[in-house]
Amino acid sequence: MRFTSTRGAGVDRERRRLLGSLAALPLLPGVSMLADTARAQSAGGACTGARSIVCLFLAGGADSFNLFVPGGRAYDEYRATRGELAVGESDLLGVDDVAQGGFGFNAALPTFARLYAEGRLSVVSNVGPLTRPTTRSDYLGAVALPQSLFAHNTQQKLWQTGAGIVSGSTAFGWGGAIAEHAAECNGASPIAPSYSIAGNADWLASARTNYISLNADVAVERMFGHDGRSEFIPGDRLAGVGASLERLIDLAAAERNPLMMRAIGAAVGRARTTTAALDDQLRANPLSGASFDRTNKLANQLHLVGRLIASREALGMSRQVFFVKMGGWDTHSDQLERLPAQLAQLEAATSMFQGIVDDLGVADSVTAFTASDFGRTLTSNGNGTDHGWGGHQFVFGGAVDGGRVVGETPSYAIRDNPDDAGEGDGGFAGRIIPRLSVVQYAATLSRWMGMDEGAIARSLPDLANFARTDLGLFRA
Amino acid sequence: MIVADPRVPRRPGPALAALFCLWLAACSGGASLPADDGASGASGIGDAAAGPSGAGLDANLDETPAGVPTGDVPSTVAASRLDPADVEAARLLTQATFGPTVDSIAEYRTYPDAEAWIDAQMALPVSLVAPHTRANSNGSHPEARHEAWWNNALSGEDQLRQRVAFALSQLFVVSDVDFALGNAQYGVADYYDMLATSAFGNYRELLEDVTLHPVMGVYLSMVLNERADASANVRPDENFAREVLQLFSIGLHELDASGRPVPADDPEPAYTQRTVEAFARVFTGWNYPAARYWNDTNINTVNFEGPMEPDEAYHDTGAKTLLNGVVAPAGLSAREDLELALDNIAAHPNVGPFVAKQLIQRLVTSNPSPEYVARASSVFDDDGSGERGNLGALVKAILLDPEARTGHRTDPDFGKLREPVVRQAHLWRALDAVPGPEARAHATADFALYRIDEAVGQAVQHSPSVFNFFLPDHTIVPGGERLAPEMQIMSEANLAATHNNLHHQFYRFTTRSELSDDNPRVTLVDLEPLVALAADPGALLDRYNLLFAAGGMPDGVRAALGDHLSGFGDSDAQRFAAVQDTMFLLAVSPSFHLQR
Repeated sequence: MRFTSTRGAGVDRERRRLLGSLAALPLLPGVSMLADTARAQSAGGACTGARSIVCLFLAGGADSFNLFVPGGRAYDEYRATRGELAVGESDLLGVDDVAQGGFGFNAALPTFARLYAEGRLSVVSNVGPLTRPTTRSDYLGAVALPQSLFAHNTQQKLWQTGAGIVSGSTAFGWGGAIAEHAAECNGASPIAPSYSIAGNADWLASARTNYISLNADVAVERMFGHDGRSEFIPGDRLAGVGASLERLIDLAAAERNPLMMRAIGAAVGRARTTTAALDDQLRANPLSGASFDRTNKLANQLHLVGRLIASREALGMSRQVFFVKMGGWDTHSDQLERLPAQLAQLEAATSMFQGIVDDLGVADSVTAFTASDFGRTLTSNGNGTDHGWGGHQFVFGGAVDGGRVVGETPSYAIRDNPDDAGEGDGGFAGRIIPRLSVVQYAATLSRWMGMDEGAIARSLPDLANFARTDLGLFRA
Repeated sequence: MIVADPRVPRRPGPALAALFCLWLAACSGGASLPADDGASGASGIGDAAAGPSGAGLDANLDETPAGVPTGDVPSTVAASRLDPADVEAARLLTQATFGPTVDSIAEYRTYPDAEAWIDAQMALPVSLVAPHTRANSNGSHPEARHEAWWNNALSGEDQLRQRVAFALSQLFVVSDVDFALGNAQYGVADYYDMLATSAFGNYRELLEDVTLHPVMGVYLSMVLNERADASANVRPDENFAREVLQLFSIGLHELDASGRPVPADDPEPAYTQRTVEAFARVFTGWNYPAARYWNDTNINTVNFEGPMEPDEAYHDTGAKTLLNGVVAPAGLSAREDLELALDNIAAHPNVGPFVAKQLIQRLVTSNPSPEYVARASSVFDDDGSGERGNLGALVKAILLDPEARTGHRTDPDFGKLREPVVRQAHLWRALDAVPGPEARAHATADFALYRIDEAVGQAVQHSPSVFNFFLPDHTIVPGGERLAPEMQIMSEANLAATHNNLHHQFYRFTTRSELSDDNPRVTLVDLEPLVALAADPGALLDRYNLLFAAGGMPDGVRAALGDHLSGFGDSDAQRFAAVQDTMFLLAVSPSFHLQR
């Protein structure tokens, strides 16, 4: 749990890095435009065909051991260890993996089970932050462990950056690296390649490409007063107000201003540009045929993603990167009541989303995948579970070589569990050490989006510590 | 719920009102301020690096309509002339209240100094949210709780206490977003009142009140937490144990007195997973106050009256190793264990800098100097009378610190982004906002206030998780050094929605507006006092500068607003239009996001 801090390095380091990133490309607000030099430097990636990727982040630490459950003898161990929290056999939708045998999806997730059966969804088993392959003895020796294991915010950052330690230059997201490649592919498109529909997202943080943060709770509409748009500002004053609005934004962004002023000035400018650019396209693609419960926040977010994917061609984009987030997974208590409610929303949202994608006829060019803070303890704390480490994730879409469980199934045993990160003091909790690293998962997804190996290596430096750099999640 | 103190003027009536908003401009440059002030010192010494976001604007200058000046040009109106004492009052009231008004500045100036004003504020009776919540709801909907909070923020006389309570609600976080508390609004309101009541009390005592409040018991699942049952593979719940350490007291790493992780190149974890497990065992055996037996779990309002109570049969009585090697011996009762463990946490040297830095960030500046944090945390450690954890003394030290009072004169990075709800409250206070004719309480233009988070990303006791609306170490630029926690919720979507709400506010919902039938509840702002000043553009701009920039309005902003004003004539309608436009411009401008 030791890590290197950049804190003593001070402003010089920050300035150097920022200057470097500025040199790489002049950014328009909400616009990705790589300088020619940057474009030339990273011309190795593929831009063939359209591709959109969606990170579905299950915030709080989803108890994925109850979303996807082992069969056979492992099920007996699972049930014994989890006690009353175990999903009953009658509440599982059975599926098979050619290599590893039978498993079951939680019956509250029939869409996942269906997509698996159709060969369009794969399970990535026991994945989590690792800087290198890590065994139980490695863990107990505390060598080279990811930073602040079991803490929500830190583990979210590790998942989203692919780093084992978040500081300084490792604070950029691997989704942001994908977005840099996407910006190159999108060429002259006036729209940013990456979107968070859930506020700030470390996954999309990049020194070279801004991501746009939209809000699915309110309509994306132009900022009134700009561009001659307002129902209420009298017509003879509207142009003057618009000009003064622009002048105030420019004043804030002036180079000699302190960083905080420039940053908020840029953010307001980006908001103005983005809402103007997207307004028409989103109106053109309301996808009003999709039916879903408006109180389902994830469904709202994925519906907006669907509308942006529907606008992909019209916006001149060949690559899109999306981040959506669903909270409520931190089931320390009342898990037997909470988890079904969570799963019902996840099911409704993913079912609606895949339906939109299928109806648009773009299934082969859209991949969605899940991520979460951590898996949870195998054992119960009485009526819930606590923070763990490894867990299962799901990748789905027409390009996925599905119907498989990728990665080894962990031990669910209550005693002598080689995957347990317990401290050997009898306090067995079932905090499962991942056998696959986030960086292996991330590299596979990044490669599907067309990133070249050099860019992937720069985005995910710890990938070099793993022999297997591609999990083979996609059809050739 | 507000008890009048004869020394404190009531909120101004419509005739007096005119408040003008305050926005604090920040930095760009050289406002012509009284020499004593220096808010203008921040002339753009910022480092040359624009972050990814900063870069955008530079490249966008070409989009500016031709003929419109973009730099600081000589204003067409007179330079600002403000009384330095008014400016200092406005600055302190910006940090210590939900925003200055003409009257609150005048009232502040009746005290000999800032400390006397703070002492008077601390002595005022507390404005509560629970009574209104109970009187106006059945506890299952948050609207009445939000109404009460906004009424206190806008009109409560105990402004300092309310502002600090809001800050504490972002340290000792509970949120009704989560599963169980949405229907427990009486309890959530009572929890807030506890924070307000104890805002100037003792940290250790407040930590115990927080720990044992049933709302916290539900939120971080300490209520009904049981000792281990090895035969069923059940162990104690780690939720409260982990977050009380990470978020309410000491944080992830060992800190020095100035709040920096140590050692700098390789920070030491402040605790381990084993420590969390030990504290999880401490916090076993607590039940709702009204429970008749252990699993009497029917949650209703009665369950939230009074602190949780112990049930020894469910408490883990084994020995536990706590922070810094302190051992809770075997055989202690639930309460003895808890007292010892909270003493152990509160005595940890991290607590002073951890709490001090976050309160500084909420009230004054995002990037306090190490020396500022150290001075404040030393007061937390010992208030001068030997008391550790005196929150009132800490608040006073934070506000009276030389850096809080004059840091803006020398440090271009001094200041913070206004929190969205504080920003909105500031505008409404300064503009003497009144509820629409059919409103029970204030409502925003497009949203009922209880849903204001959907537009601005923040609503009291409604954060997405126990990690608050934003993290204290959120950097302006990914991986950068300089912090701006509030930037984490300044998404394009939130900025656009805020902008459009304010557009509606100033162009549809003023006290001069003809309200349509479908908007009878919307809060109205009173621009008339500003209209009365508009005959003299310099005076109007001075008022803007005082209330919305605490005297630090950049020259460029003053020039832009002055130029805009110059296009209007002298009639009442023209003056109203001039105020309408410039207030809108001011309220949505990037500069107003910044508090210095």
